[in-house]
Amino acid sequence: MCWSRPRWRAGWRGSRGGEGERGARSGAGPSNSGATGPPEAVRPVRAPRRRTALWAAVVVGALAVGLVAVLATRPNFEAVQARSPLLGKPAPELVAADLDGRTVSLSGLRGRFVLVNFFASWCVPCQHEHPQLVAFTQHHQAAGEASVLGVVFEDDASAVRRFVEERGVDWPMVLDPGGKIALDFGVRGPPESFLVDPNGIVLVKFIGEVKATQLDSLVRQAEQAGA
Amino acid sequence: MDAAIGRAGVLLGFLAAVTGIVTLAWGLARRRPSLLRSGQLYTWLLLSGAVGALLAMEHALLTHNFSLKYVADHGSRETPLLFTVTTLWSALEGSILLWVLVLAGYIAAVAVRFRSRVTDPLVGWATLTSYAVAAFFFGLMLGPANPFRSVHGVVPLDGPGPNPLLQNHPLVAFHPPLLYAGYVGFTVPFAFAVAALVTGRVGEGWLVETRRWTLLAWGLLTVGVVLGAWWSYEVLGWGGYWAWDPVENASFLPWLCATAYLHSVMVQERRGMLRVWNLSLLLATFSLTILGTFLTRSGVLDSVHAFTESALGPAILAFFALVVVVVVALIGWRGDQLRSPGSIDSPISREGAFLGNNLLFALFAFVVLLGTVFPLLAEAVNGQRISVGRPYFDTMTEPIVLALLFLMAVAPALPWRKASTELLRHRLQWPAWAAVATIVVSVALGVRGVETLTAFGLGAFAAGAAVRQLALAARRSGWAGLVGRANGGMVVHIGVVVIAVAFAASQSFGHRAEYRLAPGQSARLAGHRVTYLGARQVRHPNRLALEASVRVDGARVMRPALSEFPFATQAVGTPSVRVGPADDVYLTLVEGPSQPGGDAVIGVVVQPLVSWLWVGGGLMAVGTLLAAAPGRRRRPTQPASEVSADEVAGAGPEPEGERVLEPASLAGGVAGIPGG
Repeated sequence: MCWSRPRWRAGWRGSRGGEGERGARSGAGPSNSGATGPPEAVRPVRAPRRRTALWAAVVVGALAVGLVAVLATRPNFEAVQARSPLLGKPAPELVAADLDGRTVSLSGLRGRFVLVNFFASWCVPCQHEHPQLVAFTQHHQAAGEASVLGVVFEDDASAVRRFVEERGVDWPMVLDPGGKIALDFGVRGPPESFLVDPNGIVLVKFIGEVKATQLDSLVRQAEQAGA
Repeated sequence: MDAAIGRAGVLLGFLAAVTGIVTLAWGLARRRPSLLRSGQLYTWLLLSGAVGALLAMEHALLTHNFSLKYVADHGSRETPLLFTVTTLWSALEGSILLWVLVLAGYIAAVAVRFRSRVTDPLVGWATLTSYAVAAFFFGLMLGPANPFRSVHGVVPLDGPGPNPLLQNHPLVAFHPPLLYAGYVGFTVPFAFAVAALVTGRVGEGWLVETRRWTLLAWGLLTVGVVLGAWWSYEVLGWGGYWAWDPVENASFLPWLCATAYLHSVMVQERRGMLRVWNLSLLLATFSLTILGTFLTRSGVLDSVHAFTESALGPAILAFFALVVVVVVALIGWRGDQLRSPGSIDSPISREGAFLGNNLLFALFAFVVLLGTVFPLLAEAVNGQRISVGRPYFDTMTEPIVLALLFLMAVAPALPWRKASTELLRHRLQWPAWAAVATIVVSVALGVRGVETLTAFGLGAFAAGAAVRQLALAARRSGWAGLVGRANGGMVVHIGVVVIAVAFAASQSFGHRAEYRLAPGQSARLAGHRVTYLGARQVRHPNRLALEASVRVDGARVMRPALSEFPFATQAVGTPSVRVGPADDVYLTLVEGPSQPGGDAVIGVVVQPLVSWLWVGGGLMAVGTLLAAAPGRRRRPTQPASEVSADEVAGAGPEPEGERVLEPASLAGGVAGIPGG
């Protein structure tokens, strides 16, 4: 690594005397090396002011701008497949009323893959996830092989209704008074989703926003494995 | 009631900060000392707001007031008292409350300390900057991170409690507050650096006065980071203590810059040089704290610590962008004007070593930062998410650490301005022999591997230099000679060497294995024998634990456990560690017996010298305390860079305890010391 040469080279003149220079140093106070050189040397005209700090600042600033731009455009970390005591076991009994009062049950949806999705309108990652769930539903609607079942997690019915009206929700969304369904599934906070196979067995638990592509490939894998 | 007081506190803090900014800005623009004086008073409103909000939240937690969403999400009646108190900082919004309280405390301390200089524009600008930072964090709590939100609908009777990992070990009461005390503490030197750049006054005594603040914040951050490593080791159950996780790096990056600053500031005090370097380091330290906060509080990086609340991310990122703009603009505008006229005489000198030190630490910080954000950069470029793991960090940081160890040994022996070879040879002789002896002994004990031996050798070299310094100081002035910046610094260096050696040893020579054992069966690993005795269920108030009894080396019975918390989906492992001076035996219960009396899977990790890490951390803390104390005052008539009589005689000057003029009075501060 090179020392920043201009810095000390300018002062090198002042101490080139080597050992003999020592005696001349006494009593100078907090001196600057270039200021009191040997009296017989003619001081050259000082070079134009170096703009090192300016250039360093510009470079750092440009890098920082790049970094901020990258950070600002990152999506949240993709949903993680979590461990759960439910994996490989039959999904808990889920019977609840949807926003219009109609009863919906998970067992009534047997025969297809169901993504039980815990949702709240105040949960920002849930809002981000919404288009992915729409895409997932559309991919599998025609074949009827998979659908979504939304469960409201700690939210008012009115806020959820407002969300449904504004953003459009094509799958049943049930209320969970008392948080009983969340408790049965072991949900800590939205968004969490459980992929249940056509026989009612829980295949995967996701913590975080899911992606439609992620779900599609899991459904395909499970079908090929002979679910 | 709690919610009302809390919200009022947050609002009060925010308004006090904003009004303070406006008042001070007006006072500075119009040069009105009366406004500067009244601007300072808002500090007390700020502090009251923060304290009030914190007390309201603690009250809500302790009385299990589940009408508050934060308590309903993170509190529980079953959680033991200590962990109920620490629930305050066990989740996102509460941690911002803690941040704000620590910041308000620091601002108040600055107001008290500098009260005699309240009409000085430099102090005014510094206070204004601190208010701006406080306004941001209070503002976060008014918006995306509101801890006093109320529960919708029915108020629950009980809550899930904090994250199980945060109620598993009492360390949770120490690590976050100490870490924050350090992390947030860097706001004060940052504010003064900004003030210095804005007012153009970089050559004065303010630097000496804020040095102690930076040292305090640095010391607290060091302790916080070491406790974090201890936490990772004792609680997380993977057997290691440092994984280069984004949150660990977030706390480490500001530490690196602050360390560089603490060294480089000595050159400014002594020779008036490296002023722009010092300011840049202070500004970088603070910027990195904000970046670190962003990385751990947005969801962009997966981390052990991540609070995935994405509404907060954009706000913190915007603040980071603002800080960077301000920093870059100030340095770009003022940096070249404020550079000191002097230059470094020779690279082989104390100044040269410190400049090299700055460069190495800057490189270190760059390498760690790059590794931390690289997954994001790679994803932006080609859409693929990759992960940067330990191999990158270990490979890249190792040579830098070795170079730093070498500098640690050589720099204290280098005199200011210029060194001669005989001088260096004389001073470094003893440490060099210590290094050689250490390498010989290590080889004799069976240590192989060039990297490890180099690390041990350089570590001994650095430790030898530090011990020599301390021995000379003690011989000269007895115990009192150990107090003061230079010698406190040597103790810190010894602590760093101990940590470096422990790191090298435990990484290179650890053994880990998992054994399926029936009750009464034993296994051997790295010279230790573990015997599985059996398992039983133990009911604690907040969890159900399956504890295995394992006898280690025929003596102590240890109890690694798997704990099930009522609202968590998976069991949380509680490791059990037998700490020893030579090595640690680390046990985890990987799988419990499926039926009573059945086999269990026990994980065993044996790593040498892990306990030395904590000893090294303790030494660093002790050294910091010694360094913070005022040392010997040099005679006011002795100029900073005078050659002493010893030097001329050829015995070589010993870098003395305190060669720099300390402020004459600690309370009021000195108006200005010509420092170049």
